[in-house]
Amino acid sequence: MKELIRNTAKNKALVVMALPAMVLLFMFSYMPMYALTVAFKNFNYMEGIMGSAWCGLNNFKFLISSKSLSWRLLRNTVGYYLLFTALGTVANVGLALLINECASRRYVKVAHTVMIMPTFISWIAVTFIVKAFLNTGNGLVNHLLEAAGLQKVNWYLSPKYWPVILSIITLWKGTGYGSIIYLSALAGMDAQVFEAADLDGATKLQKIRYITLPMLTNLISIKLLLSLGGIMTSNTGLFYRVTLNTGILYSTTQTIDAYIMNALTSGNSQFGMIAAATLFQSAVGAMMLLLVNFVVRKVSPENALF
Amino acid sequence: MKEKQIPLKIVLGVLALIAFAPVWMVIAAAFSDEASISKQGFSFWPQEWSLAGLRYVIRFSDQLVQSYKVTILVTVCATGIALLLTSMLAYTLSRKDFRLRGAISVYLLITLIFSGGQLGSYLINTNVFNLRNSLLVLILPGSVGAMNCIIMRSFIQSNVPDALVESAKIDGASEYRVFFQVVLPLMLPVLGAIGFMVAVGHWNEWQTSLLYIDKRELTTLQLLLMRIENTLDYLSQLENPSAEEAALMQTMPTESGRMALLLCTLGPVLVIYPFFQKYFVKGLTMGAVK
Repeated sequence: MKELIRNTAKNKALVVMALPAMVLLFMFSYMPMYALTVAFKNFNYMEGIMGSAWCGLNNFKFLISSKSLSWRLLRNTVGYYLLFTALGTVANVGLALLINECASRRYVKVAHTVMIMPTFISWIAVTFIVKAFLNTGNGLVNHLLEAAGLQKVNWYLSPKYWPVILSIITLWKGTGYGSIIYLSALAGMDAQVFEAADLDGATKLQKIRYITLPMLTNLISIKLLLSLGGIMTSNTGLFYRVTLNTGILYSTTQTIDAYIMNALTSGNSQFGMIAAATLFQSAVGAMMLLLVNFVVRKVSPENALF
Repeated sequence: MKEKQIPLKIVLGVLALIAFAPVWMVIAAAFSDEASISKQGFSFWPQEWSLAGLRYVIRFSDQLVQSYKVTILVTVCATGIALLLTSMLAYTLSRKDFRLRGAISVYLLITLIFSGGQLGSYLINTNVFNLRNSLLVLILPGSVGAMNCIIMRSFIQSNVPDALVESAKIDGASEYRVFFQVVLPLMLPVLGAIGFMVAVGHWNEWQTSLLYIDKRELTTLQLLLMRIENTLDYLSQLENPSAEEAALMQTMPTESGRMALLLCTLGPVLVIYPFFQKYFVKGLTMGAVK
């Protein structure tokens, strides 16, 4: 203990340097965590977070009792996590393999740079673009359908199409960027192995199947594992904004994050219930992350988050 | 060998075109004649080109310039503060002779594992700090990211030798001087990588502005776009607009005007990102291997 105090006194300049960041973390990370105690309270704006009266588990009971809502949120959140993770991994690895095969570095560099672009387009802009594609009146897709002699579709009133629409948007926005990590892993591979395979007369596909993919499996499984920490989270921009927060589409588009954003912007004052949903989301996320990190630590310590 | 790659090049070219197509559609719509949008809808090649959309943007320029100013101010301040505070924290965590670093690491990691979410922040920012309609709410929260700090710390550990820090201290440099004149310059690649991602994040940020900002002069670019959409939706649902609402409708942008406006907000990021590509590619790999 004495030693700790002496060490800290000696390094007080380091303490001064760490302090501003720690204060901000306290104000904007720790205090919001504390605010989730509202999940167990009858929150009242005038009485504030500390002053409001405790109400036990009422908020959770209320959340669970609205069965169709909580089931829908859970199903959509976890369902889209699984769907996007599966599609995203296949697309990212596939694109990285394609790019890696191309010998003309200049050509591939330009093509890849263009493919990364959608990552930097804001969700608000994506909303504009999707609307221009899907609008009933002047949308591009409906004009194409009409030109092909098909019926126009009221996209924003038809929930059944949205899992496909949201998947396409996600792949468009994330694949170029998501492939970067696999590309750099591929670039680090030992060229001698491939030369040896060439000598043995392996075809291109055989080399991919028996050398490249097995070498990537480690990275793929680590990334999949670590992504599990986000199983309860979803992109608010995609699920709240791009869907225009349309009630008719909720059945296939509303996730926990979209529900929370909608509650906060629509002047819904049931903060207790929203806090209960947030607490559930955060707690599950935290448990998943701790569990996954424990597993990764065992199999591949250098990839563990902490 | 070269011949065989032609199909591959075509596939990659088509994928790049698909990635670019939506952005091209925005450009085409921004420069197309309003009548051709209402007749043939949005398309990749309008029947008639026109500068009317651009003229609308110029007419609208007061609010646009104001929003540009706010967005640039927020992006620059937030990125600067984030880089400075995070790199200082990362440096202290990289010093093996600093006994408190274990405790501080845990303090940092907890924020990575558990979060109060959008609601927790909302209650604190409105009920405790009173940050409604203050630019601070766009700048301060989230400026210290645990993941960014971990990446910076590993970068220092693997790129700045302990001996360098030691020798600077033996030469009589203070801790601050060691950090700002010896360590910080060596951190340029990681600062570029993280700084770019933080800056783009702030440029594209919309949730915080939507929740906390309603003053006209504090409207960010993304919020401005949202406002226009919401007003248009509202007006389009009216059956008998009042005189006031009809006047409002007159000021609303046409389809090509909206797309030209959108192009103005997208432009800077899309022009800049290729120059930062080598930084964020490195940053991503650093994050993966730590």
